[in-house]
Amino acid sequence: MLKILFPSIMLIPVTWFSPNKWLWTLLTMYSLMISFWSLMWFFSPLNNPMFINKYLYTDQLSTPLLILTCWLTPLMIIASQNHMINMPINQQRLYILTFIMLQLSLILAFSAMELTLFYIMFESTLIPTLIIITRWGNQTERLNAGIYFLFYTLMGSLPLLIALLTLQAESGSLMMTSMPFMTQIYPTQTNQIWWVACFIAFLVKLPLYGFHLWLPKAHVEAPVAGSMILAAILLKLGGYGIMRISIMMTPFTKDLVFPFLVISLWGIIMTSSICLRQADLKSLIAYSSVSHMALVIAAIIIQTPWGFTGATILMIAHGLSSSMLFCLANTNYERTHSRTMLLARGMQTILPLMATWWLLANLMNMALPPSPNLMGELTIITTLFNWSNITIILTGLGVIITALYSLYIFLTTQQGKMPEHLTAIYPTFTREHLLMNLHIIPMCLLICKPSLIWGMFT
Amino acid sequence: MNPFALAILLISMFIGTMVTLTSSHWLLAWLGLEISTLAIIPLMITDHHPRATEATTKYFLTQATAATLILFSALINAWNTGMWELKELSPLSSNMLSLALMMKMGLAPLHFWLPEVLQGLSLTTGLILSTWQKIAPIALMYMIFSSLNIQVLMIMGLLSIIVGGWIGLNQVHLRKVIAASSIAHLGWMMIILPFSPHIMMLTFLIYILMTTAMFLSFKIFNATQIKMLTIAWTKMPVLVALMMFILLSLGGLPPTTGFLPKWFILQELTLQHIPSIATVMAISSLLSLFFYLRLTYALTLTYSPNTVNSTIMWRFKFNNMFYLPLMVVMVLATFLLPLTPSLISF
Amino acid sequence: MVNIIGVIREHWTNVLVPLGFVIGWYWDKKNDEKLTAFRNKSLLFKRDLKPGEEFTWK
Repeated sequence: MLKILFPSIMLIPVTWFSPNKWLWTLLTMYSLMISFWSLMWFFSPLNNPMFINKYLYTDQLSTPLLILTCWLTPLMIIASQNHMINMPINQQRLYILTFIMLQLSLILAFSAMELTLFYIMFESTLIPTLIIITRWGNQTERLNAGIYFLFYTLMGSLPLLIALLTLQAESGSLMMTSMPFMTQIYPTQTNQIWWVACFIAFLVKLPLYGFHLWLPKAHVEAPVAGSMILAAILLKLGGYGIMRISIMMTPFTKDLVFPFLVISLWGIIMTSSICLRQADLKSLIAYSSVSHMALVIAAIIIQTPWGFTGATILMIAHGLSSSMLFCLANTNYERTHSRTMLLARGMQTILPLMATWWLLANLMNMALPPSPNLMGELTIITTLFNWSNITIILTGLGVIITALYSLYIFLTTQQGKMPEHLTAIYPTFTREHLLMNLHIIPMCLLICKPSLIWGMFT
Repeated sequence: MNPFALAILLISMFIGTMVTLTSSHWLLAWLGLEISTLAIIPLMITDHHPRATEATTKYFLTQATAATLILFSALINAWNTGMWELKELSPLSSNMLSLALMMKMGLAPLHFWLPEVLQGLSLTTGLILSTWQKIAPIALMYMIFSSLNIQVLMIMGLLSIIVGGWIGLNQVHLRKVIAASSIAHLGWMMIILPFSPHIMMLTFLIYILMTTAMFLSFKIFNATQIKMLTIAWTKMPVLVALMMFILLSLGGLPPTTGFLPKWFILQELTLQHIPSIATVMAISSLLSLFFYLRLTYALTLTYSPNTVNSTIMWRFKFNNMFYLPLMVVMVLATFLLPLTPSLISF
Repeated sequence: MVNIIGVIREHWTNVLVPLGFVIGWYWDKKNDEKLTAFRNKSLLFKRDLKPGEEFTWK
């Protein structure tokens, strides 16, 4: 653990003291180096918790998320080079520092052995994200988005704090490793409130349909790096939290589970239908991630090994693909200075290679065969089908609508006649192609050995 | 003010609090409270403008009323029990006494004087009023905690948290915002007092740290309104960036010091099997967080438009005697959370 | 020779991250040793203790 944590901490002085002209190069290089080092977490011969010390450990569930966290930091730095280049140098340093803080708190959150540490780090991610959204966003609405983001999450997670403290008072320990051995908590009136309090924080974070209003706002207003980290990792904190905490909350009772299950299944249809009528590119991608996360919620709540496996795979795969879509949206935004899709049509004729990346990203997002997304979605759909045959209608419809809006993005932005005002935009950079490649290559590699991201039940 | 007069006032303020802290006799405790009240009054009225006069008058009246109540309840207690010691109290006098002390500190239904008084003071006097002047009443509460009425404390505390959050929402004056934050924090302290006075003291200590840090940084910018904060970044960009963490620490967001007291209080309350009140407290503290967040928006997260000349203010060196204490307090007020285990092992 | 100082002044930050890795690696190793000494009563996880070293769980 410390092998990664210490170099990550050391990134802070590197940010402050490296020479101006080397700043972005050095930070990209070193954070990439850390992410390669982090691959050693995949080594787990016994399916046991590994890399243990007194406070931190990793296991099969947290490892892929941890590595994704380390992987995303260099990508965020690469992605935000262009729009930060005109800022004063100290602000550039501060911006990178926020990423590093975010990486540190996310690593601690995913690898925490105790639920209290997990909670504190879960909350610690709020401040850097808030700074990224409200300090480096573009429009005035970003302030509103920051308030939504902070208060939705806190409103959900303060009951979680009380619930955890109650659990600690009852059982005397919040160690995740000893949780499977605790006596099971049976559903009574009080316990049900406790159960909901444990759940709601993560459902707001994921987000469940109905608690999702903060997400499109935050995504739309955040700069590209904020959107990337939000879609790729911060949402997954919720899924990770539910999977961890549901170990001690079994058995789930029908009257508690069904409302959330129904809302999430309904949310798949609703949010993907909302995508069909979006004019705002980033908002569309944000809603698409809400609909994918609804699948994850449904799969986790069913609580079968297949459900957990599917949810873990989809979280990782969606983390990479949605982050890539946000990067692509940002390349358009940097050229046209607008998120409106109608203003950036027919890009294929001027930026043909970028059109390839758009195609690939859309195919990944709608889960076409050689992608881990497909594997995740198929596993989840099978789980849901096994639970109740009727769900195939909803999930099938969801898949179809996903394909529809993916086509809609692709057709609107890439195909058709190019408007006159786009002829003067500058060509694509190697940096941007590298960025897209660094998203696609892990996905292609992961499908070769998917057991790396299968989660707890390999 | 004449330095000799100032010295006498400051020393007697110090002595007043010390007399209260060291007393075991109610009369002496009351005497200390009176001395420190009377010593701060000339400081409050140093600037002769109507607001300061109003503030001083209001402060004097409320403090005198509270002190009279304290004396009265001590007398009743002496009448009933035959004791003048600060130990056990009869229920009637303990209720009256806790109300009087709460009035001195400014808890919810008795809080109306606090924003008005703080608004009329200079930032330095305001700092003294909202930190040093609260030590003596808090210490008295701490000493008599075993005979306090839990219901009274819970109701007043909960009301203070909610009201403190509420009256801060529509303020544009920073000193009134600080008054609101002080009311809310005192509410947290009053709720935990009957269960664990140690946690109450820790909360109070951290409250003093955070409030001092905020007052000193406002003092450096001479800012008394939100709109004055918006140009603070032209003077000291680094301080502005750090002030954001102080404000979020006051709001109690986790990785900062401010989360520490909230965490312990909530934990103690769940240990006492009252998680419902703990939830209500935690959620109503979001009200306070909202106005702290608004301050950070004005201060750090947005850059207000300025003339080109005014954006290079940071190049000038301001000599200020508050820098050193500010640095110390700032670090303590923001990054103390990792030291939690050594803080609670007293 | 003057150049070396210049190079060092320019590039000394490059040392930090590898240094962090080394420190982290060292602390991890120490921690592992401590933990294995801790559970040296178990047959599964036991290791040969160094001469003079005692297990911490008595």
